Amino acid sequence: MEEKSQKSNRWLKPRRVMVIALNTFTQLARMKVFYFLMIFAVIALVAQFLDLPQYSGPEAVYTGELQLLKGWCLGVMKLFALVFAIAATALLLPKDIEDRTLYTILAKPVPRLDYLVGKLLGVLLLIGVSLLLMNVMMTLVLSYRTSALMDQQIEMAVARGWSDAAVASLKQEISAQGVTLSLQYGVIAIFLQASIIGAVSLLLSTFSTSTLFTIMVSFLSYLAGSFQSDAAEFYRATANAGTTTASAWVMKLVALIFPNYQLFNITDAAIQGQSIAFGAVSSLAGLSLFYVVLYTLLSWFVFSDKEF
Amino acid sequence: MSELAVDIQHLVKDFRVVRKGATSFRAVDDVSLQIRAGEVYGLIGPNGSGKSTTMKALLGLVAPTSGTCAIFGKDSMKVDSRNDVGFLPENPYFYKHLTGAETLRFYGKLCDLRGKMLERRVDELLELVDLQDARHRRLGGYSKGMLQRIGLAQAMVQDPRLLILDEPTAGVDPIGSRQIRDLILRLRDAGKTVFLCSHLLEQVQEVCDQVGIIFQGKMVKEGRLEELIAVEHQTELILENADAVLVAQIRQLVDADPAAQWVRSGKPRTTLERLFLEHTQKEKI
Repeated sequence: MEEKSQKSNRWLKPRRVMVIALNTFTQLARMKVFYFLMIFAVIALVAQFLDLPQYSGPEAVYTGELQLLKGWCLGVMKLFALVFAIAATALLLPKDIEDRTLYTILAKPVPRLDYLVGKLLGVLLLIGVSLLLMNVMMTLVLSYRTSALMDQQIEMAVARGWSDAAVASLKQEISAQGVTLSLQYGVIAIFLQASIIGAVSLLLSTFSTSTLFTIMVSFLSYLAGSFQSDAAEFYRATANAGTTTASAWVMKLVALIFPNYQLFNITDAAIQGQSIAFGAVSSLAGLSLFYVVLYTLLSWFVFSDKEF
Repeated sequence: MSELAVDIQHLVKDFRVVRKGATSFRAVDDVSLQIRAGEVYGLIGPNGSGKSTTMKALLGLVAPTSGTCAIFGKDSMKVDSRNDVGFLPENPYFYKHLTGAETLRFYGKLCDLRGKMLERRVDELLELVDLQDARHRRLGGYSKGMLQRIGLAQAMVQDPRLLILDEPTAGVDPIGSRQIRDLILRLRDAGKTVFLCSHLLEQVQEVCDQVGIIFQGKMVKEGRLEELIAVEHQTELILENADAVLVAQIRQLVDADPAAQWVRSGKPRTTLERLFLEHTQKEKI
């Protein structure tokens, strides 16, 4: 017993954080969240069987078909990740307080920071697993479609007497619209963006008294982040003879508080079949980590003094 | 002199309120109490008298406005003070998605229990609170009494020396209530310290060594139970198989003493609870 009393409870003990994260993951998973994946699977499969005839003619813009499929899949992934990052994070904390489950957890030797980080990681784990499963489904359908399209187009090209070089170029063009590393980077960008939005929701839920308020403000912060660079650009364009020092600082502050979500639009480039450099994704990962850590520390700052 | 399990000194807790003419509400007003290791302490008082706030301050869930709280000498606001304490809140709802065994595993892991040691502890506790048959059932399907018992089990998961129980039998039927009471007595026999608050005074009387009465945030009476409730100038006699003649003789002796007064005689009554338990236990058999 003496030995037990001597135990130190340092912050961010990985095992303890993972216990809370896995419990949050299980909690959300048992709320039948994965049913959403079935909807995704249906969308992917329906796109597979119903759309093909529309593009099978010789005049087909073959890349358009694959882009449409990718656009659908990544759009649904982004929607899921955004809605889930906001709603799940906004709900979890108030629910634990309302049910008094939080009392029993904080009455154990659990630092409040560990609890917050565990909750956020649990939500991110679920978003990550869901995106992974959706990505696998998308990859399977997309590779099948790419392969079918490739055979069809090459057959037509050969029949038309295209040269070997032209056929090789066609192959390359179609492959670029299939399953590529850039497409995977696009999925990673969705996850990174969801991480920041989840951390914003977590921060809001530490002081908000209403879940609806948390959800609404989280969504507004997403919109602010999505349009902040446009707004800054508009301000610069319309300001008289350059900006003052004060207004420049205000703009910098706004830019610091609201991350520029337009940076995550590399997903669109992935849909277009453009190549995305590893460096671009690394920068996004670094930026996301900065914001997640910043918002989590702010959440802790509020939560550490909270009374129940 | 045994160690102090709980040491609350001049605890004051004010809550901010948005009310006309008032900026704060004093929930606890200069409360001091000490519980020695191995004692069962009952804090009683009406609703809103400050019982739960005192317990929450002791657990670091609320910060004292002034005064100090310590568990086995460690400041309650520090996480380390929670190594040796288990808490059952009033009307707890645990994660409904977990089964009984998973719930105990979750809390055990938070206290750094692992592997076989954790599994052994889960088995022991489920047996102790008589929930072995419901170990694989999700808590969403548990009755109120079962939830209280799994709550007690989670409070005990790391085998803490101090248990803080806020209304442990609230909303529980007489059988469940008796089970919880028996459990508290067994814990006392095992040398654990229990700090409980309850509205059910009869139950507090049955299990507690020390009692504190809190009213409007102030501790109005405190002390050892037998000293507090003894009626000093009266004596109770309970006889078995005494016929009417013997009772009449005793009465004559009392009447002969000018200072003594015969207050009451008659058949002692059982409690409604005991009657209920006798019959329901028979039905079960």
